[in-house]
Amino acid sequence: MDPTVIRTLLGDVLQLTGEHIILVGVSCSVAILIGVSAGILGTRHATVRRLSVTAASVLQTIPSLALFGFLLPIPYIGGIGRHTAMVALVLYSLLPILRNTIVGITSVSPPVREAAIAMGMTDPQILRLVELPLAAPTILAGIRIALVTNIGTAVIAAVIGGGGLGELIFRGVASVNTLEILAGAIPAAGLALLADAGMSLLERKIAPV
Amino acid sequence: MDAKGNNLPYLSFREVSYSVAGRSILDRLSFDLERGETLVLLGQSGSGKTTALRLINRMLDPTGGDVYLDGEPVRALDPIVLRRRIGYVIQDFGLLPHWTVAENVALVPRLLRWPAERQRQRVGELLQQVGLDPATFGSRRPRQLSGGQMQRVAVARALAAEPALLLFDEPFGALDPLTRREMQQQFLDLRSRYHLASVFVTHDLLEALALGTRIAVLHAGVLETIVTPQEFFSVKTPVARAFLDTLPKTTTQGACQ
Ligand SMILES: Nc1ncnc2c1ncn2[C@@H]1O[C@H](COP(=O)(O)OP(=O)(O)OP(=O)(O)O)[C@@H](O)[C@H]1O
Ligand SMILES: [Mg+2]
Repeated sequence: MDPTVIRTLLGDVLQLTGEHIILVGVSCSVAILIGVSAGILGTRHATVRRLSVTAASVLQTIPSLALFGFLLPIPYIGGIGRHTAMVALVLYSLLPILRNTIVGITSVSPPVREAAIAMGMTDPQILRLVELPLAAPTILAGIRIALVTNIGTAVIAAVIGGGGLGELIFRGVASVNTLEILAGAIPAAGLALLADAGMSLLERKIAPV
Repeated sequence: MDAKGNNLPYLSFREVSYSVAGRSILDRLSFDLERGETLVLLGQSGSGKTTALRLINRMLDPTGGDVYLDGEPVRALDPIVLRRRIGYVIQDFGLLPHWTVAENVALVPRLLRWPAERQRQRVGELLQQVGLDPATFGSRRPRQLSGGQMQRVAVARALAAEPALLLFDEPFGALDPLTRREMQQQFLDLRSRYHLASVFVTHDLLEALALGTRIAVLHAGVLETIVTPQEFFSVKTPVARAFLDTLPKTTTQGACQ
C-alpha cells in the first residue's frame, strides 16, 4: 500500500478524533450542566419535573438522524455545521442525566432527609451536604450512559457537517473503502470503551457508602 | 399572662390540632412543660406521637391552636434557628450514611459554625457519654454500627449543641435491657444537670414510669389522660388501663412502692 495514502489517512484519523472528542466533550458538559440543574429544580417543583422529563423523553425518542434533520431548518441554532451537531448532541444526552439526577435525589431515604431537616439544615445545605453526595453515584451512572451514547451519536453528526470520525466512515461507505471505514469505526469504538472504563473507575472512586 | 412573661411555661401546647386532607391527626392537644420535666407520650402506633413532636420544631405547623416555646409562639420563630436549638432523636435515627460517626455527631455544631477544635472536643465528650469509645467509633460509618450503637450516635448528635429542649422519639427502642437502663440513667443525669425539658416518646410503660415527670396517653390523636407516674396506676381510662395490663403483676407491685 502507498505510504503517502497511509500517512494522509493517519493524519485524518488524528484530526477527526480530536474533533470528535471536542464535539462529545463540549456537548456532554453542556448537557451535564443543564441536566443536573433541571434535575435539581425538578426535585423541588413537581411541574418542572413533569415538563423537563417529558421534553427530554420526547427528544430521546426521536431517531438521532431525524433530530439532526429537524434542527437544520431552524434559524440560529440550525443549518449545516458544527454548532447544529452540538445542539443535537446536547438535546440527545439530556434524558439520562436529568432522570438519574431526579432518581438519585428522590431516593435519599426518608429518615436521612428528615434528620437533615430536623437538625436545622437549610434547603441548599441539604442539597449540598446530603442529597448531591448521596445521589452522586446515580448521577454519574446517568452521565456515563449519556457520554457513551453521545460518542456513537456524534458519528452521525458528520452528515450535517459536524465533523468527527463519522466523516471517515461516511466517506469510506461512499467510496466502498473498507480501510477508511475501519479507520473511523475503530477509534470511535475505542473512544466509547475508554469513556466507559474511565467513568466506571470514577463511579467506584466516588461511591464510599 | 405578660407578653414575654416569666410565668409562662417553657413549652406549652394550647388547643393544638393538626389535620391533613380533612383527616384529624391531632385534636386540641393541650399541655404545659417546665424545664427539668419530661413529658412522656404514650400511645399505640399511629396515635399521633411523632406528629406532636414535629409540631414543636416546625417540621409541621398546627392547623389549629399554637405551640409556645420559652414564651413565644413557635410559628413566629425561624424554623432553621428553632431546630438548631432543639435536640431531636428521630424515630429511625437518620444518621447520614456518607458521614463518619464523628461528623454525624458534629452536625449541628458545624451548622452553627463552632470552631473546629471545640467541635472535636465536644464529639469526644459526647461519644464517651453515650458509651462509645471515640478512638474506635469516631471514624466509622453508620453502616459499620449495630442498631444500638446507631441509636447512641443519634442521641449524641441530638445533644451536641447543648439544647435546652430534647425531643426523643423512641430513642432507646433498639437497645438491650442493660444498655437501655444505662442510657435511661444518663438521660436522668443530663436532665437534672442541665435542667433540660424533654418530650419523650416510648411504647414501653416501664420506661415511661422511670423517665416521665408526667405521662400523656394519646389515643387516635386525642389526649386521653395526662398524669404523674404515681397517679398512672389509678387511672381508669381504657388505653392507660390496657398499657397497665401489659405489666406482669409482680412488676406492677414493685413499681407501686
Ligand atoms: N404526611 C401525612 N399525611 C397523612 N397522614 C399522615 C401523615 N403523617 C402521619 N400521618 C398519619 O397520622 C397518624 C399519626 O402518625 P404518627 O406518625 O404521629 O404516629 P405515631 O404515634 O408516631 O406512631 P408510631 O408509634 O407508629 O410511630 C397516623 O395515622 C398516620 O398514618
Ligand atoms: Mg412515630
